[in-house]
Amino acid sequence: MQKYTHQLLDSANQIILGKEHKIRLAFCCLLARGHLLIEDIPGVGKTTLAHTLAKLLGLHYQRIQFTSDILPADILGASVFDGKSHEFTFHPGPIFNQMVLADEINRATPKAQSALLEAMEEGQVTIENKTYPLPKPFFVIATQNPSHQIGTFPLPESQLDRFLMRIELGYPDPKAERALLTGQSRYKLIESLSVQLPPEQLQQMQTLVTKVHTSDALLDYCQAIITFTRESSEYHCGLSPRAGLALLSAAKAWAFLELRDAVIPEDIQAVLAAVAGHRLRSGSTDSEAIVAPILAKVAVF
Amino acid sequence: MNSPHFKKILIFLLSSIGLIVAPHIANIPIALFGFFSLVLGWRFVAVWRPQYLPRSRVLLFLTLLALTLLLSQHKHLLGRDAGTNLFILALGLKLLEIKTERDIYLVTYLAFIVAASLFLYQQSLFMAAYILAVCCVLFATLVAINSIEIQTRVALKTATLIILQAIPIAVVIFILFPRVEAPRWMIFEEKNKAKIGLSDSMEPGSISDLGTSEELVFRVKFTGAMPPLKQRYWRGPVLAHTDGKRWSQFNTQLFKGLALTKPSYTGTAYQYTLLMEAQEKNWVFGLDMPEQFSAPLALTGYYQLVTQENSKKRAEYKITSYPQYNTGELTQVEYQDATQLPREPSDKIKQFVTQLHGFDSKPEEFIAQLLTHFRKEDFHYTLTPPLMEENPIESFLFTTKRGFCSHYASAFVYLMRVAHIPARVVTGYQGGEFNGVGNFLEVRQANAHAWAEVWIENQGWMRVDPTAAVAPERIEQQLNLDLLELGGEIRFDPNMINQQQNWLKQMNQLWNSADYQWQRWVVNYDSDNQANFLSTFGIHDFKAMMKWLMILVALITILLSAFLLRKKQKSIAPVLRLYQRFCAKLKPAGLIRTNREGAHDFAQRAKIALPEQADAIEQITADFIQLQYGRVSSREDFVRFAKAVAKFKLTVHR
Repeated sequence: MQKYTHQLLDSANQIILGKEHKIRLAFCCLLARGHLLIEDIPGVGKTTLAHTLAKLLGLHYQRIQFTSDILPADILGASVFDGKSHEFTFHPGPIFNQMVLADEINRATPKAQSALLEAMEEGQVTIENKTYPLPKPFFVIATQNPSHQIGTFPLPESQLDRFLMRIELGYPDPKAERALLTGQSRYKLIESLSVQLPPEQLQQMQTLVTKVHTSDALLDYCQAIITFTRESSEYHCGLSPRAGLALLSAAKAWAFLELRDAVIPEDIQAVLAAVAGHRLRSGSTDSEAIVAPILAKVAVF
Repeated sequence: MNSPHFKKILIFLLSSIGLIVAPHIANIPIALFGFFSLVLGWRFVAVWRPQYLPRSRVLLFLTLLALTLLLSQHKHLLGRDAGTNLFILALGLKLLEIKTERDIYLVTYLAFIVAASLFLYQQSLFMAAYILAVCCVLFATLVAINSIEIQTRVALKTATLIILQAIPIAVVIFILFPRVEAPRWMIFEEKNKAKIGLSDSMEPGSISDLGTSEELVFRVKFTGAMPPLKQRYWRGPVLAHTDGKRWSQFNTQLFKGLALTKPSYTGTAYQYTLLMEAQEKNWVFGLDMPEQFSAPLALTGYYQLVTQENSKKRAEYKITSYPQYNTGELTQVEYQDATQLPREPSDKIKQFVTQLHGFDSKPEEFIAQLLTHFRKEDFHYTLTPPLMEENPIESFLFTTKRGFCSHYASAFVYLMRVAHIPARVVTGYQGGEFNGVGNFLEVRQANAHAWAEVWIENQGWMRVDPTAAVAPERIEQQLNLDLLELGGEIRFDPNMINQQQNWLKQMNQLWNSADYQWQRWVVNYDSDNQANFLSTFGIHDFKAMMKWLMILVALITILLSAFLLRKKQKSIAPVLRLYQRFCAKLKPAGLIRTNREGAHDFAQRAKIALPEQADAIEQITADFIQLQYGRVSSREDFVRFAKAVAKFKLTVHR
């Protein structure tokens, strides 16, 4: 099991250079059965990351480019009248894939956005009183341009909450940048990747993650963090119970990746910025800075 | 700086400053107080509207304005009043330029000084309690600045705890720290605070409504037995001169001077301590008649006690009095003074005196006749007598027949003088309410009284109280002035005392007793009292005082810290305590685990710093993580962990 994850992360690091921690977080998010939001300016490798993960995990992959005129039907699919059989048949939309890349989600109107987010939350799509289950595993990577760019509909807090993690990729460091400039085309490299972790293995891992132990001492720390965000004047509103659950499951996945069978405070600290950043202050993109007061003031024990 | 956190601190701070300056309203000119209130109000508004804060130029103008105001009120900047006012104005102006956290600290400390300055004006128990309460709020402000999250209740609780912890040390320092006499400028200038008390003269006919005041004049604590109520006459100024309406003291130098001969005393001696409230005059009201008294006191020719020291603050005197005495012979001057009449008495008066055998019998008989007349005829005691502007004595004796002690005393003395018997009016206090809680007598303005003194051959001056003849209840029972109805006559029915008021009265006595003890033991604790008090413990000199001060402060500090440390350690689980011991062992190597650092991260750091002990660190950390966060941990794990921590020793290679 350990071998799989190691190889997978290694291969991903070959494609996206100098972003080991972000890739690890992205995979951690996947293991915790959560969806991922990548927020960054265009061209830093958001799509490449999504594409690489899909390829390495051998998942059916579909990309939806969100535009301002996209409709819910364009995402979910629609029933179309079949002239031969004289009945409506459902044509599934691009969401019926194991891994969906929702590119530039904040360019779409709120109506289209909520169609996607509802599907994400329920794991199924209901059209005209008929329910169609989504495939398993189902993983959405949405990308979002920083909301101060023109022509965007920033996701409201309530919908940001649907994403387990939000990460920023950021510019590569000079060394990685040079390797990127001199190396092969990323597209070709992705094409040449082989599946490192088949879907069945992934699902098995996801089950194992939920079984990682959390002791009372750790839950104390977790609760201290949640209480702090609710009581501190740094934040408008604190972490919701759902956020608390998200934090714990992400920490479990992180502990799993670190080959531990119990979560330790360091695991929570590692995922805190990605899990709590967008829930505490949606406007800002610097998650590390948002959670810095928590890490500084909440005692580990 | 505009975060809600900061806002809350500001509100805390401004409210406490408002509370601390409020009692100064009585002490500082209204213009300055108004200025301060305006500035405080401005700052309050600016908590929500920071844009309204003045710019530096406006601030400069305000400062100049404040200084001008101050100089216009005081003409200088020295002395208690000007100094305090300067402080308050500076505090107000500083409020307008709070920018950083440092400024808040500064303002808080300034507020503490303003709080202390309140004691320059008033040292009552109530004020002390008030200042302590406000200091609690100020401490809470300091607590709030330093906490992540401000919760008013928690901050106040912490502040109270801090104050409580400080009290033992404060008490020790109060008792043992050498008292320094206040420098001249600090001497309390209690301008209008002194009690009005009795005056130099009285004019009974011109008073139609005697105001009674519950204001305290003095307290008496008897060491032995207490004299019966009938003998509790507290002697004050003697009014011997009259112009027919007005009675006043003679300005003769002789009687201003000290008594030449002491009376001879007989009967029981009463020893007591008298605590005078601050007053304008230098009178001390000794029990009739004082025999022994200590240094600043002196007995005048009228047998009145006066103090030769500043009477404008409370003072304590030890006096011995005898109720029976003989003042002996009368000098020629005294005789003349005591029989002085403004003009020849009218025929009506003469006829009246003749009728009562004033001219043809012994003085004692005439006195008895006159008192009987007062008792038998339609004379009444009232605090609201009719006005008698012309011929007050005649109108009182023959027409109105209503009056209070001054009327009776003056009419009595006048008639005596008509009969050529030396007599004079003595003013002072009579009675006093016994405070059962503190075991002392409280004498109030309402106890003010006037009686007569008659000189009789072989007996000397003798006290006669004509009021007692008319209203014996006034003397023998304590008259409850609360029951007085304006315009009505006094009813001396003890059953009238409302049962419901009993507990109120008891509360009142309790409070008065506390205030008395406070005055006696705290406010009056000066260098003399300190020396007396400490010598009972065998501390006689400065060196011993300092030694004991150090020892007690150190002892209390050690006890408190031991208590606090123990309490803190108890709450930590054994695993964590062992781990903390491990961390402590790493400290000398410069490895200090911060609060936010988990064991794993810390171990990574430690392993890099101490490569040769990496294994031990790894093992201990792994065990700790297993014990603290792991799924299962056995007793053996704990024992192994404990042993490893115990065995671990920092080896530093240089």
